[in-house]
Amino acid sequence: MMIKFIASGLYTSLQDLGRFGYRNLGVPVSGAMDLQAATNANMLLGNDPQFSVIEFTASGPVLEFEVPAAIAICGASFTPKLNGVSIPMNQAVEVPADGRLSFGRPTKGLRAYLAIQGGFNAEKVLGSVSFYQGITSQSHFSKGDVIDFNVNTENSSPSFSSELRLATHFDAVEIEVMKGPEFEQLPELVQSLLKGGTFTIASNSNRMAYFLNAAEAISAKEIITAPVQPGTVQLTPSGKIIVLMRDAQTTGGYARILQLTESSQNSLAQKRAGMPIHFRIIDPPSGTLV
Amino acid sequence: MSNFPTFRTFGERAVLIDWPPKIDMEINKEVLSYSNFIKRFFAEELLDVVPTYHSIAVYVSMSTEINQFLEKLKEAVLSFSEAQNHQPNIISIPVCYEEPFALDIAEVTKEKGLSIPQLIELHTSPLYKVYFLGFLPGFPYLGGLDSRLHVNRRREPRSHIERGSVGIGGGQTGIYPAASPGGWNIIGKTPLRLFDVKNEPPTEINSGDFIKFEPITATEFDLLRIETESGTFRWRKEAYDD
Repeated sequence: MMIKFIASGLYTSLQDLGRFGYRNLGVPVSGAMDLQAATNANMLLGNDPQFSVIEFTASGPVLEFEVPAAIAICGASFTPKLNGVSIPMNQAVEVPADGRLSFGRPTKGLRAYLAIQGGFNAEKVLGSVSFYQGITSQSHFSKGDVIDFNVNTENSSPSFSSELRLATHFDAVEIEVMKGPEFEQLPELVQSLLKGGTFTIASNSNRMAYFLNAAEAISAKEIITAPVQPGTVQLTPSGKIIVLMRDAQTTGGYARILQLTESSQNSLAQKRAGMPIHFRIIDPPSGTLV
Repeated sequence: MSNFPTFRTFGERAVLIDWPPKIDMEINKEVLSYSNFIKRFFAEELLDVVPTYHSIAVYVSMSTEINQFLEKLKEAVLSFSEAQNHQPNIISIPVCYEEPFALDIAEVTKEKGLSIPQLIELHTSPLYKVYFLGFLPGFPYLGGLDSRLHVNRRREPRSHIERGSVGIGGGQTGIYPAASPGGWNIIGKTPLRLFDVKNEPPTEINSGDFIKFEPITATEFDLLRIETESGTFRWRKEAYDD
């Protein structure tokens, strides 16, 4: 049961909750940039949250459905249309055979997720379907690609009526973080700039990392290469501030100054170049330093 | 244990175990032996265990309460005494140091006052220890480069370095497991695939193993490349005795 890409949209890829069990070999976790939105889309259809979803960024694909399907779209506020007629986000929608689905551009946020009842059919590589160059055969969808989905929907019960009321994290300026492993080694001045400063998102941000611009220059010494993960904020000797995202490498040699909470990672993934953010340092899960 | 490690949470779903921050064979041996132990002992609760030179990141699943896990982990690690290391192997990596693969060999030999045979001899003599894998899928962090081959990274990094390229930069040597941008001086190329998702596990080289580079001719390179592509290549390994 096929869906065809009439247009690809930007950086459109298949993502699930991530690729685990291979980080010790240097394989990134990957997975949906906004895991909350991806999970919501599956939940609306009664899908297993582990099912893969199509992630698109800033500009959505145009899709043609061969057979009827039930879909849900969550995440950034796009303007989805089915055969030219507006359809709602954040609820299950029936698509007829030969339905043509488009998304336009987002009015708020950056990335959205398309889930389909029954789930997409794609080959798992190292336990996950998440696209990543060098691991999966594709790194993004292109015009003319097709994707298969399952019509066996015995176990799912879509909630057609229950519209999800999502907290709008698109406007929030505050990003919750915990102190990173090297935070305490930073000079007090740098620590206070991190706490009080405003940072803006640079334009070269992507699924691997977001780069931040600071009003005042800060920097930190290199470290001996050590583990990093999505949400780790690195500070380089030349003053670059890097927030690692889902496709980040597994180890790194820059000071790990902050660590975003899981929900802040979802929130940052919806922010665009030029937007300001503040860090709010919260305590780690209680009783941590033993 | 030579040095007691420290334990702390790293975000909401990871514990970081740190030994003193040094690149040191003995510390790394402990890191690898504990990471093997943790992987087996806590298999149910874990997503990933990532060892580096002197740290281990232990990533737990969503259903695991991180502080309780940290306590259990600490108790288990501090009461653990036997060595759990995998028997390390010496893995032979054939490298062709000839044209057209050795892009920077002329420049490096000139700068270091060496002949090409001398450079090959210095690069192929040591047993390089694999401290851990990271940076790119299947990229081994190697220790043991002869100081006579320590050389600055290229001033202009290349935007594309081919898979299998062997480079030196700073005090390090390494093999690019995939095409990548990079600033190392390229002195040769291996026809082997360090990372292949068709294999389980996708890499033959494990943390704790040793690598020995073996010089090959361009003709041998072609032959081994064909063997690698057709799946008939057999890796050469022997047990490493301490």
